[in-house]
Amino acid sequence: MSLMARIIEGKRYHWWSRMAAMTGKELLQLGRDTVLVCAVLYLFTLDVMMAGGVKMDLNQGAIVVHDADHSMASRELIYRFQPPYFKMLGEILNEKEGVRLLDHGEALVVLDIPPKFQHDLLQGKPTAVQVQVDASNTILGTLAASYSAQIIGQYGFDAALQRMGLTGESLEAVPMVDDRHRVWYNPNQKDAWFMSISELLTVITVLAMLLPAAAAVREKERGTIEQLLVSPLTPIQILLPKVISMTLVILIGTALCVGLVLYGFFEIPIKGSLPLFFLVTALYTFAMSGLGLFISTISRNLAQAAMLVMMIMMPIILLSGAWTPPEAMPDGIRQAMYFSPLYYYIEMAYDILLKGAGLAVLWDSLLSLSLLGSVVFIFGVWRFKRQFG
Amino acid sequence: MNINRVKILAFKEWREILRDRLFFSLAFVAPISMMLVFGYGIKMDVENIPFAILDQDRSAMSRDYLHLFIDSRYFDYQGDVANEREIDNLIAGSKIRFAIIVPPKFQQTLLSGRPIAVESLIDGTFPSRASISKGYVAAINNAFNTQLLTAYMSQKMGTTPEKVAGFVSPIKIQLRYLYNQEIKSIWSIAPLMMMFILLMMPPLLTALGVVREKENGSIYNIYSSTITRGEFLIGKLFPYVVISCINVVILWLMAIFIFGAPFKGDPVFFFIASVIYVTCTTGIGLLVSLIAKTQVSAMMITVLVTMVPAILYSGLMVPIASMDAASKFEAHLFPAMYYTEITLGGFLKGVGMDELWTHAAALLLYTLVLWLASFSLFHKRVKA
Repeated sequence: MSLMARIIEGKRYHWWSRMAAMTGKELLQLGRDTVLVCAVLYLFTLDVMMAGGVKMDLNQGAIVVHDADHSMASRELIYRFQPPYFKMLGEILNEKEGVRLLDHGEALVVLDIPPKFQHDLLQGKPTAVQVQVDASNTILGTLAASYSAQIIGQYGFDAALQRMGLTGESLEAVPMVDDRHRVWYNPNQKDAWFMSISELLTVITVLAMLLPAAAAVREKERGTIEQLLVSPLTPIQILLPKVISMTLVILIGTALCVGLVLYGFFEIPIKGSLPLFFLVTALYTFAMSGLGLFISTISRNLAQAAMLVMMIMMPIILLSGAWTPPEAMPDGIRQAMYFSPLYYYIEMAYDILLKGAGLAVLWDSLLSLSLLGSVVFIFGVWRFKRQFG
Repeated sequence: MNINRVKILAFKEWREILRDRLFFSLAFVAPISMMLVFGYGIKMDVENIPFAILDQDRSAMSRDYLHLFIDSRYFDYQGDVANEREIDNLIAGSKIRFAIIVPPKFQQTLLSGRPIAVESLIDGTFPSRASISKGYVAAINNAFNTQLLTAYMSQKMGTTPEKVAGFVSPIKIQLRYLYNQEIKSIWSIAPLMMMFILLMMPPLLTALGVVREKENGSIYNIYSSTITRGEFLIGKLFPYVVISCINVVILWLMAIFIFGAPFKGDPVFFFIASVIYVTCTTGIGLLVSLIAKTQVSAMMITVLVTMVPAILYSGLMVPIASMDAASKFEAHLFPAMYYTEITLGGFLKGVGMDELWTHAAALLLYTLVLWLASFSLFHKRVKA
């Protein structure tokens, strides 16, 4: 081997051994902060489990009824308000009582059945049922209203068919469209499947920004960055180990969470390729750490960095489709979402984990995430190098 | 308790906050920008659901039926597909959320007076979105059935469709939305965001402020001074409570004047309750700062103990009434839930002291417990 080649190899060896040493240093530093390690562990396990226990749908909405008819028909209608959507609390004697319960938040819906309800129904005369809904929380109010309307509408339709003598077998001779729906990927519509994955993605986002930002700002605040700068390390050798070690921590946490919580506890059938999922996760973590590095360059202490992380993180999380349906966003924000790495990551994570989608379907999202991620990461590195180069 | 010492410490802390310009401005800018982003950004209504059609009949009737979906504002028509395999790929790639398949001989079967099944495929990854879509499909289907049945009955009974209509849909539903008649989601989001932001920001400010002294070592000045534990805690936190109270007013004004949410309740009670709430959330930050040793871990724990309850256990996204027993119990352990009732009560329901005093009392109790716990955990003597 010529001398030149040996020198080059030696340099290359040094380059990598320095990177390895710095990565080890970052991991060690993180490992010594017991509270932080516990927090990270908690986030990847118990926190995801807790989030999975939350239901998004209307569940046992409290309903009271003011029944002015007290007939077979009214009783049959009341009987149809059943769990899981509703919980019938009982009957009230006057409207005032209903308003009082709504004011106190003890009832969500007050159902008012008029006198002569059965009589009108049998006569084929139109009659009206009043439904009062507490809409102070619009999500809940809309759900309760739509379920009540469905129940009452179905009851009216059934009553009409019955009145016209169309029941049982004679229904076979009536032209009707029967709606048969199939729900894919989560046939029993378990909220836990969605919520736990959503929470995991949120946790990854928070940590991917926070950990590298904190690791970099801490050196600035303590002044240890000066020591690093006078050492034979290049800025890249200072910053890449921070990103690599934190990505490693996040990937280990994700593996724990997927194995223990998603697969083990909630029994989500992981349909797609796990290597692909981890590849996408690593890519996403890199992109977000670029944002973290950018934050570390503009803040002087951790308090500032924390506030900036919060400010950048909250809109990214809430406007990414993690909690709210992306289709429902107003126009300008829908376009802005295409610039959020989390938007692509969420799409791909669900598609891989629940739907079993592969590269053939996901290539465009993957390409977008790679492009966007590279831009963000290079920007973060550029800022860091400019400050410390 | 020496008021003078408290005053001096509070003044020192205020100076320190004020001199960190970025931190000081972020303490106000962050809540304002969060309010703006969420106020304009969150829309929970399930609308414009992208869907595709597989029409295997291609008759006048199937087109009529499908147009009910295409014209609905809830659905966003993405085009026709040629076969079921295409639907598989579109749903797997999240290009559409739902597809509807009209079988062959749709028109022929219905005209000959027999029922027929139409299949809809719904993406179940987001369960609540799936069940809302299901509801929309059922409603549209019902409307079509009512048309069919009216036509069929009027033909059978030999009367006009108008007369039959009364028979086919006998019950009218009068829906009344209370407290928010036009169901403007911004009206309920603006007060909910107040709860959310005031739960997240004060503890973060506080925890970072206290732990910074620990990490930098300047806390030893306090340890060796004559100031007592109580004086230190009160003096240290007073500026943060003041900042949060200013934020209460700013956010309240934003909710009313920018987002147009009506405030119907008793402002005096509302502000007293709000001050209790921010004192309480500041107390969370204090407790965290006593446990954590470094600013990073303080920050992490704060985000942890505030964000999860703020999103999941506050009534923001998931109504308390809809929770199962365990979650409901957890919800009662966090202060967010009580303040949610107070803001929604003040803004939309117009209820005050009489209905809400229990919630305010719960917050007060919570505050006392937090501050007492912090007081007993804070030691001036360094552990060996």
